[in-house]
Amino acid sequence: MSSKNASKAAKNNESATELIEDKKKLMALIDRAQDGDRAALPVLRKVLDEAPRIARFVDLARDVECSIVKKISGDDVFTQEAIPRNLEAMRKEIAGESPSPLERLLAERIGVCWLELQYFEAVYAQNMGKLTITQSDYHQRRIDKAHRRYLSSIKALAQIRKMGPAVQINIAEKQINTTGTA
Amino acid sequence: MSPWERRERGGLYYTRSRKEAGRVVREYIGSGPVAVLVAQMDALERERRVEQAALWRQEWEELDALDAYVNEVAEASDLLVRAALLVSGYHQHNRGEWRFRRELKECQ
Repeated sequence: MSSKNASKAAKNNESATELIEDKKKLMALIDRAQDGDRAALPVLRKVLDEAPRIARFVDLARDVECSIVKKISGDDVFTQEAIPRNLEAMRKEIAGESPSPLERLLAERIGVCWLELQYFEAVYAQNMGKLTITQSDYHQRRIDKAHRRYLSSIKALAQIRKMGPAVQINIAEKQINTTGTA
Repeated sequence: MSPWERRERGGLYYTRSRKEAGRVVREYIGSGPVAVLVAQMDALERERRVEQAALWRQEWEELDALDAYVNEVAEASDLLVRAALLVSGYHQHNRGEWRFRRELKECQ
């Protein structure tokens, strides 16, 4: 590799790392690609190659899950054990056999969105008689939002799977296969 | 305005104020030890309401923080899904359905 190419690759790597950290920049790049700018694609590929950084979002989902479990179970150690086990089974079932990092992230997202929805509904049900109209509205809006987010997380995974072999992004092996029929 | 009203004869009279159809209405409770007791009960009730409101606020803030984290996970994974689809040769038709780019299909 020439020194010019090496420095370009290093720059690409650096900008991919930056992009994962900075959502606005990533969104702008995606919009450019969406508008047909082919130059944006190599950088997007680099972003998808950054598997350990994508795993950061999986960790974030797990952290959120832990806080919700703590809130739901309080001092009940049985529930503290049971909920994460159920969620793990749910995630495995959703992610399927040997999922790609993206599928794994989406399965995590579905799990955490489902748990959040359950929690918000439980909080609302527990306080139903004590709420003022404003408080009740607030809870309802929050539940609706969580429900929409849960549905869109299922849709995102379904979308990736619907595209079939065309979206086989094997990030772990640093290989992107864009062949296939749509 | 103090809920205790001084009368012309010198005694103190306990009152409660509330809003009715946009106007402040004053309810006259009484004087003497019974009025002092009612005033103390009202003060306790006010304290309870303030504590309750603070608890609600705290719970709402906690729920908001939780919501923000879940939102961050959702937004990040949405961006990555879009990136994956674009890299794989798809484009979003009118911000709706994802379609395979014809020119890429023809190249393969």
